[in-house]
Amino acid sequence: MFLHYLDLAWRSIRKTPALSLLMVTAIAIGIGITTTTLNIYQMMALNPTGERSEQLHAVQLWSHGPDTWDEFHMQITYQDAMNLRNLAPQFKQLAQMRSGMVIQVDSDKFEPELRAVRVTDSDFFSMFSVPFLYGTSWGEQVDKDAAYHVVISEKYNQKMFGGGDNVGKTVYLNRKPYQVVGIVDNWNPQPKFFDPMNGAFRDAEEVFVPFSLLPIEKFQVWGNISGWKHEDTKNFSDTVKSEKVWIQYWVELNSQESRQQYKQILTGYIDEQKALGRFTDNKTSADSSRLNTVAQWLSIAEVIKEDNRILVGLSFLFLSVCLVNILGLILTKFLKRTSEVGVRRAIGASRMHIFSQYMVEVGIIGLLGGLVGLALASGMLYLLGEKFGMDSSLISMSNSMWFIAPFIAIMTTLVAGIFPAWKVCHTKPSVYLKSQ
Amino acid sequence: MLNIKPIISALWRSKSGPVLLLLQIILSVAIVANASFIIHERLQKMNRESGIAEAEVFTVNIYNFGENVDYDLQRRKDIEAIKNLPDVKNASLVSMIPMSGSGWSSSFTREAFDRNKENQEEVSAGIFFNDHNFIDTLGLKLIEGRNFRIEEIDYSPNAKDVKAIVSRAFATAMWGEGPAVGKTFFNGPDESAEVVGVLEYLQGDSVGRSTFQHGVIFSYDFVRAGKNAIYAVRANPKDIPQLKKDIKDALLADNPYRVFQGFETIAEIRVDAYRNDALMVTALSMIIVLLLVIASLGLSGMVMFNIQKRTKQIGTRRALGAKKRDIIQQFLVENYLICSLGALLGGILAMQLGSQLMRHYDLPMLDLSYVFVTVAGLFVVTTIAVLLPARKAAAISPAIATRSV
Repeated sequence: MFLHYLDLAWRSIRKTPALSLLMVTAIAIGIGITTTTLNIYQMMALNPTGERSEQLHAVQLWSHGPDTWDEFHMQITYQDAMNLRNLAPQFKQLAQMRSGMVIQVDSDKFEPELRAVRVTDSDFFSMFSVPFLYGTSWGEQVDKDAAYHVVISEKYNQKMFGGGDNVGKTVYLNRKPYQVVGIVDNWNPQPKFFDPMNGAFRDAEEVFVPFSLLPIEKFQVWGNISGWKHEDTKNFSDTVKSEKVWIQYWVELNSQESRQQYKQILTGYIDEQKALGRFTDNKTSADSSRLNTVAQWLSIAEVIKEDNRILVGLSFLFLSVCLVNILGLILTKFLKRTSEVGVRRAIGASRMHIFSQYMVEVGIIGLLGGLVGLALASGMLYLLGEKFGMDSSLISMSNSMWFIAPFIAIMTTLVAGIFPAWKVCHTKPSVYLKSQ
Repeated sequence: MLNIKPIISALWRSKSGPVLLLLQIILSVAIVANASFIIHERLQKMNRESGIAEAEVFTVNIYNFGENVDYDLQRRKDIEAIKNLPDVKNASLVSMIPMSGSGWSSSFTREAFDRNKENQEEVSAGIFFNDHNFIDTLGLKLIEGRNFRIEEIDYSPNAKDVKAIVSRAFATAMWGEGPAVGKTFFNGPDESAEVVGVLEYLQGDSVGRSTFQHGVIFSYDFVRAGKNAIYAVRANPKDIPQLKKDIKDALLADNPYRVFQGFETIAEIRVDAYRNDALMVTALSMIIVLLLVIASLGLSGMVMFNIQKRTKQIGTRRALGAKKRDIIQQFLVENYLICSLGALLGGILAMQLGSQLMRHYDLPMLDLSYVFVTVAGLFVVTTIAVLLPARKAAAISPAIATRSV
């Protein structure tokens, strides 16, 4: 029966090519726009950590004074980061910041390049599931006693050494020798959940060095340093001692108990600091810290841009205009054929038959529109990358779109088709037979 | 005269077509009014003057990675070397580049900051630490007062007697419309600066900030103590490609331990800075254009159907003496009736949507004039969409009324 309907539908579509084309165009444009905005939205809304999202926690502290900032800052002070690292060594945790250095090797083939560098702790790699190709992270000991160790990406390994296991070799960062201890495979989570404030869709750094080197090497800060009070910070050691916030802090908590335990440790720590005259705002110690899962962190960082939400909303409104439009066109088309329906009804077709046949017909139009719409959307996404330099992770068509777009298209046309199909199958056969 | 009554009763008899048209118009008005409002807002944002000779000024970003470099001395040497190149008009060390997305900002008060005093109004601004060459290199226009004097530039870490040149927007936010030269403002309890000049425009680093047009230049410089340096160079646009190479060669000859980043003109930096806004404008414009195309195609299709359905009616009317233009008028009046109702309801929906957008997003309230302009545009578009098929209808011969089908 379904095949029979398909055949009838196809004949009917071909009988009025202009009207059918108009309908397919309308639905295709609607789907094209909706799919484009929805795809970008979906890519922005992605949580790259999956089930780890609930275990990884970004730490926020309310260390600022009264009448200053109204919200938790996303970064914490250096002194708090150092204290937390020592306070609860039973937990996997890390302090980090973004910096940049000039990278070189002994060989002359590699021209010096200025590159972003992630300054972090040894647990970074296991907490964020960074895959190692060769070697491993620097040892935990290095987090306490600084050593000139470095982890590089496979891309850099290829570029500098021509690939292969180069653990133990030396690279130069700002002309200081660092020993390669590990080479990580391609790793570039998008959005960049572990540091969304420095550009949520920037590529992950490809050079990693120990955080313990920070006070020795005085790495440049390639991120924000924010302060809430006037402090003289003319040099690095001033900044380290100051109340300025510029360090990001993460901790892994695998169960509800460990979460509570860590929260208690934080509260105890803030109590201590209050006694020392810090954390002066009128907030309880328990309320002065916050642990955020990755999902919460991405939402705090406002990874999804306002503009994108507005565009998604408007494109669905646009789609609804298309829906009303198609409804009108389908109505036009079906009512034109009431006499044909009259004949079919008179020779025994049930209302259900007529209704199903017409729904199949609009479904096919929806499917065609959806497919053309998908093609339009990939064209638009391509243009966004070419003309507006949109990040490549945002403009690649998400796999789910191949189902979502035709699904929305078919649903839209089916919704639009119900009323016309209902109307047409309630035609009294006698009326139309008579007028002939 | 316009025979509105019979038209209304005709519409009433076959409701579904007009209702669909009405729905389309309501939605279209709501979407187009809000989209064009956002477009206008973005265009205004993108057209803010920087005051800089944007095509002539380009930046040279340098990262020094040598050991034991006297950065201060190195930079003076670099600027001299750049200035000595034949096609360079002027060059200056700059602490940040307007619109570049990274730099310094701080907030200031009219009186020395006092922890115990309440309600001290603070005014934020992008801050620059630059010498007397800066204004000329960028091509900024002084509208009050004067430039820094060479002897006023202080290179020591604890500068005293600091002078400042501020943008008009900052001066207005701080002291109102009147003259600002000679006024003093404060940063914290004990840092202050005296205004010696006012610039027509000076923008900060971040185009999204509400105080973007507030700029302050101080006559001292602590930025020199770092590895990074940004130089602004002014030259004729045609010389810039060659200069990029010449500057690199000249500076590397003096000290090879540095890396260059982005030789970009301010015009290019502007394009980068407003990329998202330009994208929004393009996307919304596309939505509007496509919406109009779809709506008018749908409208034409429906009118055509109406005509087919009413061929006999029209023939009868013609046979009874209606002129061609009466038939066209009938369809137009029908359209305008629906459009007017649609405009009214669409306007209400547009304002609702606008207030939702304002509540949830960083947008001002939708201006009613956008609804009016949209409605006017809609009348024009639908007139065309109706007129074309209606002329066909008018061509129906009166004889058709006498035939059986």
